[in-house]
Parts: sequence; structure tokens; C-alpha cells
Amino acid sequence: MLKQDLIEKNPIRHLKGESDAKESSRMGLVMARAGMGKTALLVQIALDSLMNDKQVVHVSVGQSLDKTKLWYDDMFKDIAEVCKLDNAGEIHDAIMRNRMIITFNESKFSRAKLEERLHDLTQQNVIKPSCMVVDGFDFAKTDRAALEGMREMAKAMAMQIWFSAVCDEGSDSQAGVPAPCGGLEDLFNTIVLLQPISQSECLDLKIIKGSAAVSKCGKRLKLDPRTLMIREDCK
Amino acid sequence: MRDITKVRNIGISAHIDSGKTTLTERILFYTQRIHAIHEVRGKDGVGAKMDSMELERERGITICSAATYCDWKDHAINIIDTPGHVDFTIEVERALRVLDGAVLILCSVGGVQSQSITVNRQMTRYRVPRVAFINKCDRTGANPDRVIKQLREKLGLNAVPIQVPMGLEGDMQGLVDLVRMKAIYFDGENGDKIREEEIPAKYKAECDAKREEMLDAVSMFSDELMEAVLEGTPTEEMIMAAIRQGTLALEFTPVMMGTAYKNKGVQLLLDAVNAYLPCPTDVENFALDLDHDEAEVKVSNLSSDPLLALAFKLEDGRYGQLTYVRTYQGTLKKGDSIVNVRTGKKAKVGRLVRMHSDEMEEIEEAGSGDIVALFGIDCASGDTFTQGDYNFSMSSMHVPEPVISLSITPIDNKAQDNMSKALNRFTKEDPTFKTYVDAETMETIISGMGELHLDVYVERMKREYKAEVTVGAPQVAYRETITQRAEFNYTHKKQTGGSGQFGRVAGFIEPLEEGEYEFVDQIVGGSVPREYIPSCDKGFQKCLDKGALIGAHVTGVRCAINDGASHAVDSSDIAFQLAAMGGFKEAYAKAKPVIMEPIMKVAVEGPTEFQGSIMGSLNQRRGMIIGTNEEDAYTSIEAEVPLSEMFGYSTDLRSLTQGKAEFTMEFATYRQVPKSVAEELIAKAQKNKK
Repeated sequence: MLKQDLIEKNPIRHLKGESDAKESSRMGLVMARAGMGKTALLVQIALDSLMNDKQVVHVSVGQSLDKTKLWYDDMFKDIAEVCKLDNAGEIHDAIMRNRMIITFNESKFSRAKLEERLHDLTQQNVIKPSCMVVDGFDFAKTDRAALEGMREMAKAMAMQIWFSAVCDEGSDSQAGVPAPCGGLEDLFNTIVLLQPISQSECLDLKIIKGSAAVSKCGKRLKLDPRTLMIREDCK
Repeated sequence: MRDITKVRNIGISAHIDSGKTTLTERILFYTQRIHAIHEVRGKDGVGAKMDSMELERERGITICSAATYCDWKDHAINIIDTPGHVDFTIEVERALRVLDGAVLILCSVGGVQSQSITVNRQMTRYRVPRVAFINKCDRTGANPDRVIKQLREKLGLNAVPIQVPMGLEGDMQGLVDLVRMKAIYFDGENGDKIREEEIPAKYKAECDAKREEMLDAVSMFSDELMEAVLEGTPTEEMIMAAIRQGTLALEFTPVMMGTAYKNKGVQLLLDAVNAYLPCPTDVENFALDLDHDEAEVKVSNLSSDPLLALAFKLEDGRYGQLTYVRTYQGTLKKGDSIVNVRTGKKAKVGRLVRMHSDEMEEIEEAGSGDIVALFGIDCASGDTFTQGDYNFSMSSMHVPEPVISLSITPIDNKAQDNMSKALNRFTKEDPTFKTYVDAETMETIISGMGELHLDVYVERMKREYKAEVTVGAPQVAYRETITQRAEFNYTHKKQTGGSGQFGRVAGFIEPLEEGEYEFVDQIVGGSVPREYIPSCDKGFQKCLDKGALIGAHVTGVRCAINDGASHAVDSSDIAFQLAAMGGFKEAYAKAKPVIMEPIMKVAVEGPTEFQGSIMGSLNQRRGMIIGTNEEDAYTSIEAEVPLSEMFGYSTDLRSLTQGKAEFTMEFATYRQVPKSVAEELIAKAQKNKK
């Protein structure tokens, strides 16, 4: 399989409508219960940008650098193996140059700090990201203002930002956006929910909010639990 | 024979300048191995005991790990002093292999620095249980709580203090032992008189709170203690047993503190070594069964079983070659004959000694788990000894390939002789140090793991062997490899005068995923006579020494021959060698050869305000920044940078950050050089040829 095919199999293709393509700044949110594969999906989104030769900043709150790096290496290896990617080693080396991980302690993370860091990076010409994924952002402890700030930052730096959030146990996933992100949906362009499908090994990617075209067809996407790529043969 | 449960093989490992050697010196003094204390940078010119090499004394750093033996309260302790600089990691790793437990020393001001992270990672890899000791509590700015926090966050250790200091910096009076709830003072000129008292009222509340915390953490490891804590009656023995259990399982790290320089806390550390670190039988060791594809076999640790011992260090001292040995099983006796598993050779144990830095003590036998030294045994480091009844090898130690080389030229004839003597010895002692003579320039080349690594050897040559040499500019060990399969069909013919030469070989070369070189013989029907097939192999191997691009070593190639022709009279060994060489050259050009360079994993640590400029500096050096991690006012940055760009980085970094940042680097991998750099290298190599 070639790099191009890989790009097409990425679930993120289905999350962007035609109209979104023109817009360079956007915010996305991946929700799931603990252990469903939020980080994996974020890494997948990041890998997609990397495959398109774009630069990515991965912000990890509360996880170590080595662990985050392992996520990428493992995901890439799995994808390369499952999709039988040609010259995987070369592609890996090439795309990882465009990735940068910034880790914060839970207590140390703030939007101002992050912005300062990003500013440093672009000024020193180290990286100019067009995509940022934020893993471990604590929605329960943040207010609307902080997220609005993030949105402005996304606009100012012309990049897309993806967040992950843990759904509260037992919250009703049928109606709207699960807690703790209820009431914040207007800030995001896309919100997806990862959930298990009963009696199947695949994961269901439910699009709660997306561009008009996508939500209309009401399509449910089935993902391979290992690579989080779209799987067509899933029962 | 000694009671094996009362033996401790420990290492003392730490960041440079956190006072490791000073602490060892105190330990030896309190255990009465030495009778006066000499400082590392002392005015009396004697130097600390463990730093037995002249150079170490001058630079104030420890290079070779000397093994020392001492007794503390009916326990026998073997101490391996380990070097603090990353260029000497092979020494550190080798030492860790034979240790059962370790003391991690941290400076109360500097805290967890990048080197401590490397060392900690190595210890985790070899599953070495450790206790932490926060040294230099007398220094201005001492803050043990911050260091403990760093131990938890940076090293991921479950670090819990089992002591509380009474006063810090200049007015440190003593320590409170939270297990026994006693205040301990260190009286006398050398702090050797221990006085136990009740805890002074002003520290009582703090100690109670900290004890509570400690009991919480440690009761996880013992149900008995958990119950006792709930009932409010935990005993000293229960707590100590639980701490020991947690430490051995690598799930708990007791933290002690003190100041070795001011003689405080060292005796308590020794007590902790006895109480919490494992004895040789507590640790699981594994041997590799060479008859069964290196399957892991657990070692019994019993002195009564047949012998298994590992030579982990060689030294060519003034008494002849000395081999440091750790026994894992069985007993090593004077007069026994032992077999070197690697070579199959028998040897007789002549003299058996216990080492004390550079003095020694003759002993008759050494039981399982002991560390001793042998005389007159011919072996390399990493060899395993048995009594001939096993074909086991203690796991072979991973030796990294050298990444940097220097040319050295002796200034006169006398220096020439001495230099070869010195090189001979160094290569035997240190597997990461290599030397060879470049066939083209006739220069002697030495190669090793870093600039400092080679520097130290050049210095040692000068001092110990009086061999003055002039040193060339450091060279990076580039490599060449191929990226695709290519075929060849080459005929070597020479028929001018005398007997002719004829040989034709055909086949292909292709990239080899793992390993350096492989030869495949696919000849059917005898188109190349049997006797000339090894000649082809030889011919290919000759080509590997110098690649066509820049003359670097070629690796990762599989050479296969599948056809050929010979002549009844004119074919010969040399003809086929030359034919293979011609074939290789022909195919090599078609196989898209590339240049590979060593990439180092670099970790820079400095105040956050300099983060931008540090990243800029790494970026300039073709570095690939992996990420950053923020920690209070400090930030650590991890990157992968080509070694060729790292020369002189320490100076640059210092000037960029007002000397507030520091870095460590380790060899990571070989990676293809970018096109522009490759072109430059090729152009340079061609110019040199002319």
C-alpha cells in the first residue's frame, strides 16, 4: 500500500465536509469513556496531518515524553503492518521530523503558557504547526473562557486543534454532547464519540457534530480497534 | 564460609559532582577500612581512596569503577564505584550487571539532573533495587522536598522519605529517623559518635506528619503492617520488613538524607543498605544456555552448586592482569581449575584476592554472590567461568559500536613503543575503545564513545605510559549501505606474461535488514568450483572496508553469487577474489548506496527562559526535536542530533544560557544523511583521494 491510500483510509476524511477544506482553523473534540482509545485517535489524526507533510504539535498533559513518543511509534508500526505500507522506515523518519511533543504537568498547564511556547517555536523557526492535538485537557476544571482563548489561538495561528475528553460514566450518550462537555458544543466544529459496538471487535465512531454534509448521511463509521483505521469488512 | 544473606553487592551511582566519591570515602572510614579522610580535591594531595588513578585525582572525577569491600555491623558490603559521565556508560552498565542493589545519590541543590535520569534508566533496565540519598544538605539552597518531588516526577520512582533533617544548610544538626522516631546526632570530629535522643519539640509535628505519610505508602507492601497501622501499633520490625519488601520489588524507594562532607547521615545510610537492599539470593539472575539457543536459565545462587562466575572487568595493574569476577553460583577456591566458556580453555585459580581500591587481601575461597579478583587468568571482560559442567553464559553485555575517532601520532620513537603498549592495555580493558592503523594514511586511529572518552585515554597515555602524542581532529564514524538490489556479472581476466588469471562471477547484492554482512552461495552445477567459493566471500568482505562513496565502512549488505565460470589453468584463489571485488564494485554503484551517520539522543536541561534559544541551537545543528517537558522553572528538551554537529556544543550551550543549562548525549542509531550533506562529504572524500 502506498502513502496515498493510507491517507484515504483515515477516518478524519469523513469528518471534514467540503466547506471545511477552505477553512484553515477549526476545533475538534474526541470523546469516549476511559480506555476506549482517545489518545490513539488523536495520534491517528496527527499522523494524518504528518502524512500530508504538515507539521504537528502534540501537547500532552500529564503524560511523559517517552510514553507519547511510543504512542506514535506503535501506532505507525501497527498501521504500516496492517496496511502493508511500503518503505515504512523511510516514511517514519521523514514524517516524525514534523512532529513535536510538548508535555506539561497537570498542574502546570495553561493556555498562556502553551501560547508562549508555541510562539517561541515559530519564532525560532523550529516548527510551524498546522495541526495541534491536546491530550489530557481537563474539561471538568476549565471554564468556557479558556476554550474560547484556545479557539482564538487556533484562528490566529491558522491551525486546527483537536482535544480529547473523558465522558462521565453513565452519562446519556444518546442525547447531545455527554458531560463534562455539554454546553460547549458551539465552540467546536466537530465532535465525535468513540464507543464499543456490542458483539463486535470494532469501534463505532459516532459523529455528534460535524459539517452539514456529513451529519446528513447519518453514516456510522466502524474503526479497527488496533489502528483506528476504517474497516470495511467489519460485521 | 560467609553467610550469603549478609552480603551486599551495591553500587553508588549519581550525577557528576553530587559527592559520590566523598560519600564512599566516608563509608570506608566508618567501616574502618581507612583511618583518615582525604578529600577529593583535598589540599593534602593524597586524594580520595576510590580515585586511585592519578588522572581521576586531578580532574576530580571517577573514571574506572574500582571494587571495594568493607564490613558494616556483621554484613559484608562490596561497593562498586561507578563513573558519573555519560561517555563512560559502558563502565556504568557493566557495573550494574553485577550489582544487586544501588544507592542513588542526589545533590540537595541540583536535584535530579539529566545524568541521574540516564543512570536511573539503566538501573531499571537491569532491575536494580535502589535507595536514594540526598547529599549536600549543608549547601546553601538545599531543598530535599523538591528533590523528592523530582524523584517522583522525573524518575517515576515511588520515593518516600524515611528521615527528616533537623535544620538545613549551615545549621543542619542531625536527622530524625522516622522508622524508630528518634533524633540522631553525629558527634565528634569525624561524626563517628552517634547520639540518639528524643525528637526536639519544634520538629515533632513535622515528623509525625511525615511518618504518617511513610506508613501510608509502605503499608501497601504488607498486610500485617496495614492491620497494625489501623490498630495504631506498628512495630519497628514490621515497618522495616515492609520497606524492604517494597524496595526489592522496585516499587518503593526509601529516601535518606545527610551530608557526607560534614559527616552526617552516612552511618544511617549503611544501616539502610544492610536492612533494605537485597542480598545475592534475593535477586533472580539468569544465565544463557548455549546448548539451547541461549534460553534463559535461572541461577540457583547456592554456594554448594557448580560454579558460574562472570568476569566483568579487567585491569592491567602493577601486579599483572587482574580479573574482577562475580560468582553467581558455586564456590571459587584457590587451586581449583576453571573453564572459560567462550574459549573452552582451562585455567587454574592461582591467587584469589579481595580488592580494596588498589590494595588487596588474599583469600582462600569465595562463595556465591561474592565479588573478588583473580590473577593470571587470560580472558576478556564478559567471559563466563564454570567448572566445565555447564555450557552456560551469563548474559552477554551489550557493547555499543564506537561513534567517534581520532588520529594519534607519537612525537618520537620512544613514545611510539609506549603508545602501542598503552593501546594494547586499554583495548583489553574497555570494549568500547578500539584502535587500528589506517592502511592509506598509516596513522593510528583510536575510536570510542565520545570526545571526553577519547580525551581521557590520550591523557592516560601521557601520564601512565609517558607516550606523548599529537591528536588529529575528531572524525565521525560514517557508514555506507545500499538501498536496493542490484545484479552483477563480472569477468576478471589477466593474460599478460606468466600464468594468467581468470574468474567470472555473477549474482546480486541486496540490503540486509539485520546484521552487517551475509554471504549466500546459490551456485548450482559447479559453475564456480567449490574451492573458489570462499575466495568470493573473501573478496566481498575486502570491499566492505571502504565504500565507494566516502571510503566509510559498508554495512547491511547481503552478497549472493549464482553463476560464474572458471578456467582449468588460469583460475585461482586470487583471481576469484578479484572477480568478486569487481562484481561488488559494479553492483554497488547500481544499488543506490547512501551514507549513514551516527545520531545521538541529546537531552538538554535548563531554565525555561532559555527554552527558545536552546531549541534554536539544536535546530541549527540539524537536530530533530522530539519534545519538551516543563518542570517548575526548568525545561528539558529531547532531540536527536547528528554526532557530527555536536562538536563544541557544550561551549555554545554555555554561552547561550549563561552556563545554566547542561546536556547529555547517548548514541541512538545510524540514519541516512541528508542529500546536501552527503554531497559535501563525497566531494571532500574525492578531494582527499587526490
